[in-house]
Amino acid sequence: MRVRSGGLFLEVGPVSVLGLRVVVGGRAGEVAGPGSPAPAGLLAELYEKHAAAVYGRCRYLLKDDAEAKDALQDVFVKALRALPEFRAAASPSTWILRIATHHCLNLLRAHKALWREQLRTVQAERRVETESPDRRELVRVVLAAAPEEAQEVAVLYFVDELTQAEIAQEMGRSLPTIRKRLREFLACAREALGVPLQEGGDL
Amino acid sequence: MNLDLGGPGPGCSALRVRRLLAGELSGVEKERTEAHLTGCERCAAVRQEIAAEREALRRDVPFPEFAAGVAEKLAHRPRRDFVSRWAPLAAAAGLALVAGTALVLRPADTGPGTQIKGSASAQLFVQDETGVHGPAADEWVPDGARLLVSLRPEQHKRVAAVLIETGEANVIYQGPAVKGTLPQAFEWTGKGVATLLLVLSDSPVDAKTIRSRDDVPRGAEVLQFTLRR
Repeated sequence: MRVRSGGLFLEVGPVSVLGLRVVVGGRAGEVAGPGSPAPAGLLAELYEKHAAAVYGRCRYLLKDDAEAKDALQDVFVKALRALPEFRAAASPSTWILRIATHHCLNLLRAHKALWREQLRTVQAERRVETESPDRRELVRVVLAAAPEEAQEVAVLYFVDELTQAEIAQEMGRSLPTIRKRLREFLACAREALGVPLQEGGDL
Repeated sequence: MNLDLGGPGPGCSALRVRRLLAGELSGVEKERTEAHLTGCERCAAVRQEIAAEREALRRDVPFPEFAAGVAEKLAHRPRRDFVSRWAPLAAAAGLALVAGTALVLRPADTGPGTQIKGSASAQLFVQDETGVHGPAADEWVPDGARLLVSLRPEQHKRVAAVLIETGEANVIYQGPAVKGTLPQAFEWTGKGVATLLLVLSDSPVDAKTIRSRDDVPRGAEVLQFTLRR
């Protein structure tokens, strides 16, 4: 594979960081011919396959289109820098969504005051609300009250709808640990929302 | 009433639907998921949501903008990291490693009337039939190519982009200085040499009055690209 940097082609191994040249079309990983631009089409392919889901996740968690756009690009930069891991993942969709979730949760933690404020708003609305709330929106704001690892487990469970066994496998944690994190999240949710919660059958 | 926050249902998983549509399922798992999808309203809603995400992406972040942003962020990797990662490879290949610094403009001495402050930078991208790329230092702008500017304004609040050719100046953009690509790409239809000035300031500048660097108001910061065709 060849990458272009500053007008020079560098011969590198099968795995590399992208150069500055981004070419639409072609196949990922194809070898560039002499003097032709490289790498061919990799970013376009990743955009087609994964960008919509990542952008959706960033919009859901960040609630700000401009920040979500920025986060989308950051997530792909991370993916490109970890290309071997990305390509070796059993499910690239799961892998990149986890990167997106982790990135956005970090951004939210950096703006904790705003996140907590959103939680207080939802708490106030819950007291007068009669209609069923948007479940995923509730999950999003309650995340602010949960411990860090419970936040990611909650997204995998309530948003991606993975089973506890699937989450345990994905995160490399034991099943009891995942169950414990989910219970921590639910305890935070009960306290934050002030209402009893219906627990899933596997909790 | 107990509140239901959701979670995986019997056979239902949003991520499994995504994986199916992404072609990541095979064998029994694929068949089972396809069969389940046929009669499941909940999973049908997930499919609609995935379709809506695609629409949102195309509307908000078309590929050229996405590619320019990713390339710009890759180019801003801290130099120490870049060198430490690539130096052994370059040495092994017997090649001199040249980082793409020519593509990123940093404030330079701008002469009398212009004060340098901060560390704003900008990057130019060329979109032609081969894709979007940061041009090499000596690269000519192809006919019909669209040019995009990605900006890191740092503390500056306003930016004006002015394309200057012999006897002519065109305002490309004037408005808030927002980190990222300027809202509009543009095409340079001229020949010879043109200069693209980016004037960063804390208060509005009348871009129509700028016909050369000498017209830049005091206190503004200037970044300059030279275009050749």
